[in-house]
Amino acid sequence: MLTAISISLTATKQVAKQPGQSPLWDIWLGLRRSPSGMVGLCIVLLHICLAVAAPYVVPYDPVEFDTDAIRAAPSAEHLFGTDKLGRDVLTRTLLGGRIALLVTIVGTGLAITWGGLLGITLAYVAGIVDELVMRLVDAILALPRLLILLLIASLFGTDTGVLILGLGFLFGVAVIRIARATTLDFVARDFVLAAYAMGAPRRTIIFRELLPNALDILLVEGALRWSWMLLAFSALSFLGFGVAPPTPDWGLMIANSRDILALAPWATFFPIAAISTLIIGVNLLAGALAKAIGLDRGGGVRV
Amino acid sequence: MSKQKSMLFVLLLVIVMLAGCALPAAETAPAAHSENAPVESAGAAPSSTSVRSTLRFPHELIFNGSESLDPASPTQFTAAMVLLYNRLARLDQAGVPQPELATAWQANEDATEWTFSLRDDVTFHDGKPFTSADVAYTIAHILDPATESPQASLLDLIASVETPDDQTVVFQLSQGHADFPLLLTHRATAIIPENSAETIGATGIGTGPFILETLAPDGTTTFVANDAYWKGEPLLAGIELISLPDAEARTLAEQAGQIDILFDATPTQTDLFVNDDSYTVLRFPSGSWTTLVMRTDTPPFDDIRVRKALQMAANRAEMIALVMNGEATVSCDTPVAPNDAYRWNGECPQDIEGAKALLAEAGYPDGIDVTLYTTSSSAQLIPLAEVYQQQAAAAGINVSLEIAPADSFWSDVWMVEPFVVSYWRERTADQILNEVWRSTAKWNEAYYKNPAYDQLLDEARTELDFEARRELYQAAQQLIAEEGGHLIPYHVNQFHIVNNQVSGVTAQALTEIEWHTISKSE
Repeated sequence: MLTAISISLTATKQVAKQPGQSPLWDIWLGLRRSPSGMVGLCIVLLHICLAVAAPYVVPYDPVEFDTDAIRAAPSAEHLFGTDKLGRDVLTRTLLGGRIALLVTIVGTGLAITWGGLLGITLAYVAGIVDELVMRLVDAILALPRLLILLLIASLFGTDTGVLILGLGFLFGVAVIRIARATTLDFVARDFVLAAYAMGAPRRTIIFRELLPNALDILLVEGALRWSWMLLAFSALSFLGFGVAPPTPDWGLMIANSRDILALAPWATFFPIAAISTLIIGVNLLAGALAKAIGLDRGGGVRV
Repeated sequence: MSKQKSMLFVLLLVIVMLAGCALPAAETAPAAHSENAPVESAGAAPSSTSVRSTLRFPHELIFNGSESLDPASPTQFTAAMVLLYNRLARLDQAGVPQPELATAWQANEDATEWTFSLRDDVTFHDGKPFTSADVAYTIAHILDPATESPQASLLDLIASVETPDDQTVVFQLSQGHADFPLLLTHRATAIIPENSAETIGATGIGTGPFILETLAPDGTTTFVANDAYWKGEPLLAGIELISLPDAEARTLAEQAGQIDILFDATPTQTDLFVNDDSYTVLRFPSGSWTTLVMRTDTPPFDDIRVRKALQMAANRAEMIALVMNGEATVSCDTPVAPNDAYRWNGECPQDIEGAKALLAEAGYPDGIDVTLYTTSSSAQLIPLAEVYQQQAAAAGINVSLEIAPADSFWSDVWMVEPFVVSYWRERTADQILNEVWRSTAKWNEAYYKNPAYDQLLDEARTELDFEARRELYQAAQQLIAEEGGHLIPYHVNQFHIVNNQVSGVTAQALTEIEWHTISKSE
């Protein structure tokens, strides 16, 4: 997966910049020109808005049972129907997005932050430390990701905090390589050498010279990691290692309703639709972002 | 024009894909058939006029691959027992013990000496004739501490087994037991041949209708018909017993025709088949029960007030409505089946205020946090936990749910964690009360130890008057309902979902079915 990502910064650096414009503004302009990117952005924003508004708009208590409406088909009363315990699927689907978005957004932020900083630092310090850490990174990346997550979950429990830290840690490992490779491209350039020659401390060089130049790559990387993390989180929930019931959660809803798939398809369909649209949205966004900063990955973004 | 071309291309692609799908399907059908063929021909006896088939059914892989064919083993391969072995006596559908390998029995006046006459026309799968020595050996094997048999604590009232001749066994009991033959109907007392303790777990040599071919508890265990079966030649050529630990996987396998019978289905699973003409649904009230187990030796459940509060918080009728689609009978924390003569029927309405008061008294005025372990091993266990979680919340009992994988729940979680779900197949009153609550019981899942309770059971066994005996058994049930560490909300109605190619399956527990009368058409 990672080897497929070939990074060439030259394209970005060739874009003539007008003074006063930040690289983020450039990206936004690039994104505006991409219809698929705007669709992706809209989907993602819609999901975020729904998740934020959910507690105020849901029609039912997400954990309230209704013995009179077990596995009820979608109707005016229950727009998305009910599950096998008579709980409203619309309510649970809307609320289910909250935990997924919370965990994956915070987790992605965490991954990008620690992975990005460590990667940039490694590229700058180089030498034996770089060599050692990178081999360790290779080793971790060689292991199946879900297996490590299951290990973390069974060692430390399935607390939301643990989930965020686990996902953030694991996905950050992959970010290290991207950040390092990106930085290697310009770590020996004049502006870095100049800062070094002026006696700027290492911290200043990393934060003021290297980080801003890697930021756009990290942004795209973050969007990509986010969609992967959504998948991983849903898989964990589905397997029973995510959030514990009765918290409404998409993966858990699918897992607990799959035995009534033939009797009450709506109980699995809507959470599946929610996960799918969100992941597609994030991927469209990530693809457009990559294009906006001039990264062309040939095969496009892989889902 | 180019649009038309691309449409054509797409069409072509679809056709290729369809063909790709169709080809393997067409290939697998004959392949599956030819797989069956050798078994059929191997099993087909010259005397049978029609070709006999192989029947497939699943088991739950409760012991994660360490299933043993030794009936006395703590990791007994339950589904295989009734295929391979016979017991001295067997329960009929009314719960009365009927002779199987025995022909008759009688007791002395105080029920301390039981004499069993045995059949003389029975041989084991290896050709050895069945005699009283095998019975004596089987009992000694169960009682041998090295066997670690869960049945040992029930049969330790047997002081000695005498074999005056090949067809007579005399059990000398250290204390009377009016219902002693009931104990010998349990599948753990299935008769094994003499001197087979070392090998029986792998060979499965018994007197039953089927002979073991290959043992693979975590894969497919195969059996071939025992054509010399003393009850008559089996109508099937063989049986494949397939490991499917997950309830959902079993449903799908039944729908796909990969298995022929889905035993012990839940009402939800049953709904999938009830309107399908290809299946017959057998429904019967059963002694199978579901429970939330609290370890009485572990805080906070070592405090009886906490256990009581957790029991009071349950709304059993609602549990039945939500989890079982109404297909169950309320039980007030007794494991004894609703149709059992010794059953105690108590009152156990939901009492939120009472539960709160008890919790406050126990030192949890602001509520209590507990973790309940559940699993997808049976389809009702996760919904049951979810419903209980919700009901208990009203009483300030905050239940966190941990969902353990089905294939490791029984080995790693059950009898380890302090608060878990569990379920038991049907057993007779004396059997279950001894098997799960007696101080010395191996499967005392709540770690309940009370000499007064043990004594009640002893008294009940020696009491020869039925009414008085019933009172004692009921007192014992009342005692464990009070303090036994179990929240037993209901006894389930059971469903067997049978593919219509199969006939002869009766509406009774899997372990009691007469397998030699079951047949399957192709």
